[in-house]
Amino acid sequence: MTTLDQTEAAPVVRTAEVRRRKSSFASDWWRYLVGLLAIAFAVFPILYVISSAFNPVDSLGSTGVIPEDLTLENFRAILSGSPGEEGTSEEAIDIPYKNWYVNMIFVSGSTALLSVFFGVIAAYAFARFRFRGRRMGMLSLLLIQMFPTFLAVVAIYLIVLRVGDIFPAVGLDTRLGLILVYLGGVLGVNTWLMKGFLDSIPDSLDESARVDGATPTQVFWAVILPLAAPVLAVVGLISYIFSINEYIIASVLIDSTDKFTMTVGLYSFINDKYAQQWGTFCAGVILAAIPVVILFFFLQRYFTEGVTGAVKG
Amino acid sequence: MRAVGFFSGPVGFGIKIVLLALLNALVLWAAGVLVADDKWIAAALALAATALIDFVYLYPSRRLVPLKYLVPGVVFLVAFVLIPIVSNANIAFTNWSTGHNLTKDEAIVAIQEVSLVAPADGKTYAATPATQDGELVLLLVDEVAGDLYVGSEDGLEPLPADSATVEIGTITAAEGYDVLQGNELAGIDTELAALVIPAADDRFIRAEGLSLAVELQPTLEYDAQNDTFTNVETGTVYSDNGEGSYASAAGEALEPGWRTHVGFQNFSTVLTNPLYRDPFVRVFVWTFAYAAISVFLTFALGLFLAIVLNKPTLKLRRIQRALLVLPFAIPAFLSVLVWRGLLNDEFGAINQTLGLDIPWLFDPAWARVSCILVNVWLGFPYFFLVNTAALQAIPAELQEAARVDGASSLQVFRRVTLPLLLVVTAPLLIASFAFNFNAFNNIYFLTEGGPYGVEQSIAGSTDILISYTYKLAFSAGQGAQYGLAAAVSIFIFFIVAGISAVGFWRTKSLETVR
Repeated sequence: MTTLDQTEAAPVVRTAEVRRRKSSFASDWWRYLVGLLAIAFAVFPILYVISSAFNPVDSLGSTGVIPEDLTLENFRAILSGSPGEEGTSEEAIDIPYKNWYVNMIFVSGSTALLSVFFGVIAAYAFARFRFRGRRMGMLSLLLIQMFPTFLAVVAIYLIVLRVGDIFPAVGLDTRLGLILVYLGGVLGVNTWLMKGFLDSIPDSLDESARVDGATPTQVFWAVILPLAAPVLAVVGLISYIFSINEYIIASVLIDSTDKFTMTVGLYSFINDKYAQQWGTFCAGVILAAIPVVILFFFLQRYFTEGVTGAVKG
Repeated sequence: MRAVGFFSGPVGFGIKIVLLALLNALVLWAAGVLVADDKWIAAALALAATALIDFVYLYPSRRLVPLKYLVPGVVFLVAFVLIPIVSNANIAFTNWSTGHNLTKDEAIVAIQEVSLVAPADGKTYAATPATQDGELVLLLVDEVAGDLYVGSEDGLEPLPADSATVEIGTITAAEGYDVLQGNELAGIDTELAALVIPAADDRFIRAEGLSLAVELQPTLEYDAQNDTFTNVETGTVYSDNGEGSYASAAGEALEPGWRTHVGFQNFSTVLTNPLYRDPFVRVFVWTFAYAAISVFLTFALGLFLAIVLNKPTLKLRRIQRALLVLPFAIPAFLSVLVWRGLLNDEFGAINQTLGLDIPWLFDPAWARVSCILVNVWLGFPYFFLVNTAALQAIPAELQEAARVDGASSLQVFRRVTLPLLLVVTAPLLIASFAFNFNAFNNIYFLTEGGPYGVEQSIAGSTDILISYTYKLAFSAGQGAQYGLAAAVSIFIFFIVAGISAVGFWRTKSLETVR
C-alpha cells in the first residue's frame, strides 16, 4: 500500500531540494498509477476467484465481490465429490474432483518426466556426437516439432480406437493411451529446446572428463545432466503446463467421468452449472492452480531467462 | 563420480539388460496378441523393430553409440507424431464420416443385416444364450415343432433331445454348454445382436431380447459376381457408386456406406460448396483477425508497461513484476473458465461491479471483443517480460546519440527504439501469432465458438479454424465428418507452417542444424 500513499503525496512535493531527493515520486507518479492500473487488471480476476471460493454464497453474482463471511464449505464440497446442496437433486450429481486431480498429476507428471528424459538423451546425441544422418535427423526434428499434434486429432482418435480393439490397455478411455499421445506431442519441442541448451555447455568440460577415461554414459550422467538440471526443470514444467491445458485430445480419447483430466472435468462441471455452483467451482480452480503457480515461482528465474533469452542477443 | 561408476559399471549393465528383457517380453506378448488377431504384418514389424533395438543396445560398436541415445525418442516420435500426421493426411482424402465408418466388406454384411425382416412364414424359437468354449451360442427350441437346435455363427445344428433339459418350452441346461445366468446376461446385448445364425433358404436367425429368436430374411441380396445389391421385392439394383455407397440408378444410396478414397473432394467441398465454404471463409477471416489483433494488443500493452515501469529509480519493481506476471503463472484453461464467469451478462462481476449491461458472450460482436480481451489478459505478461529484457539490451548510446542530434523523445522511440525492438522480437511475434491461430481453449472455454447465427452451420461467430475442425469431427449435431475435418486441419497446417517458415527465415534456427 505504500505505493498508493506515495503516488497521492507526490504532486504536493514542490521544492527543488526535496525534488532531487525524492525525484522519482514527483515526476514518476504517473508511472506508479499506470503500474497500479495494470496490476489491478492482472490480479482482479484472481482476487475474484479467491473471494468467491471463500464466500458462503455458492451462486454466481448473488453477493458483492467482497464476501460478508468466510467459509471453507466450497472446498469441502468440491472435494467431497457431490457438491450439490444437501437434500436437493443436485446433491446426487457425482463430481469426482479428486480423481480429476490425481489424473491431472499422473498424466501431466508422467508426460513431463518421460518426455524430459527421452528428450534430453536424444538432445545429448545431437549435441555431442557426430554421426551420419545427424543433419537430416535434426532437420526432421525441426519440422516435426513445428506440427501441433492436436491438428492430427482425427487420426489420433481413429488410431487409438483401432489399437484399443487389440490392446485395450492403451485404447480409448485409458490414461495410458493419453500419456503416450502427449509424450509424442511434447517430445519434439523438448528435444529441440534442450539440444539448444546442451550446445551452449562448453565442450571442454566433457573433454576433460573423457581424458580422465569417462565413457559417454558417464559424461552424460556426471557432467551434462547436473549442468542441465535447471533447464530440464523448466522444460519439464513447460510440458506439464502444456498437458494440463490440453483439452482437444483428452476430451476425444477419454469417456468416463472418473478418468477425466482436470481440464475436461472442470469444463464439463462448469458447463452444466455455471451460475449455481460458482463458489464450488472457484475452490476447484484454486486447488488446481496451486501446484503450477508454486512451481512457476520456484523456477521463475530460469523461466524468465528462457522467455527473454531470445531477445538479449 | 562414484554414483556414476555405480550406474555405468556392472549395475548399469544389469539395469540395461533388465529393461531390454522387459521390452522384449512386452513385444513378444503383443506380437502374440496381434497374430491371434491375424495382424501378421504388424506383428512382424513389431518383432523386427525390437530385434533392431536389441542389436543397437547389445552390439558393441562405437558407431552405434549415438543411436543408443536416439532410439527411444525416435520410436515415440514415429509412433505418436509421424504416423498420425501421415494418417491424418490420408484421412483427408477419404469420405470417412458417420455412415461411412466401415470397410467395404463390413458394409456389405451390415447392409444385409440392416435389411433383414421377418417373413410371413418365419419360424420363432425360444432361445437360451449359452457359451461353448467361450463362444456365444443360442440354444433354440422351435416353438411350433418343438425341435432342439444349437445356433452359432457357423450355422444351425440339431441338439440331441436327451442331452438337454427343457422346462416350459425353454432349454435350461445342455451337455457341453454353459447356460448364461443372472449377471452374465447383463452385458451381452451387443454381442447377442451381432450373432446372426445362417439358416436354410438364405434365411438367418437372430435373437430378439434374451429369450426369443426369430427367423429373418434379407430384402437385399448381394451378388458377389457383379458387386451389386438387388432388392428382392422391388427388383431395384444398387451398384457401387465409387463414393463409398451402393446406389440405385435413381441415386438412392443404401445405408451404411464404407470409407473409401475420394480424391480432393473434401478440399473442394470446403472451397466450393456454399454450405461449407461460407462458414469456412468467415471462420478463416476471424481466425486471422483474432490472432493478429491479439498479438498486436498484447505486444503494445506489454511494450507500454515495459517502457513506463522500466525506470531503475522506481520502487517496488520486483513486487510489481511478480504481480504483473501472475496471469502467466496460472494454467490458462482455468483463467479462461473464470473469465467466462466474470463476463456473464446477468451475474458476472464485470457487469455487476461496473454497473454495465453488456451481452459480453451472447452478442456476436461483443463475444469477439471478449475473446480478444481475455487473450490480452493471458498474453500481455509475456510481452511485458520480453520487452523489458529487449529494452535493456538496446545499447543506450544509440538513443543518446539521437537525442544529441536533437530528436524528441517520441522521435527517438519511433525512429530508434521501436525498429531495434521489432528486429529482435519479430520471431517471437510470429510464434505468438501461430500460437494464437490455434488457441483452441481460449475460444472454446469462453464462448464454445458461439453465439450462433441463424444459418445452418456448426460454426459460430467466434469459432476459429481449430475449433471448427473439432466440431466437424466430434460434435454431436451433424455426425462425425472425419474426412472433412482432416482436410481443414491440413489447411491449418499449411497456414501455420507458412507463418513459421517466415519466422525461420528471420531467426537463426536453421543455422543451429549444422
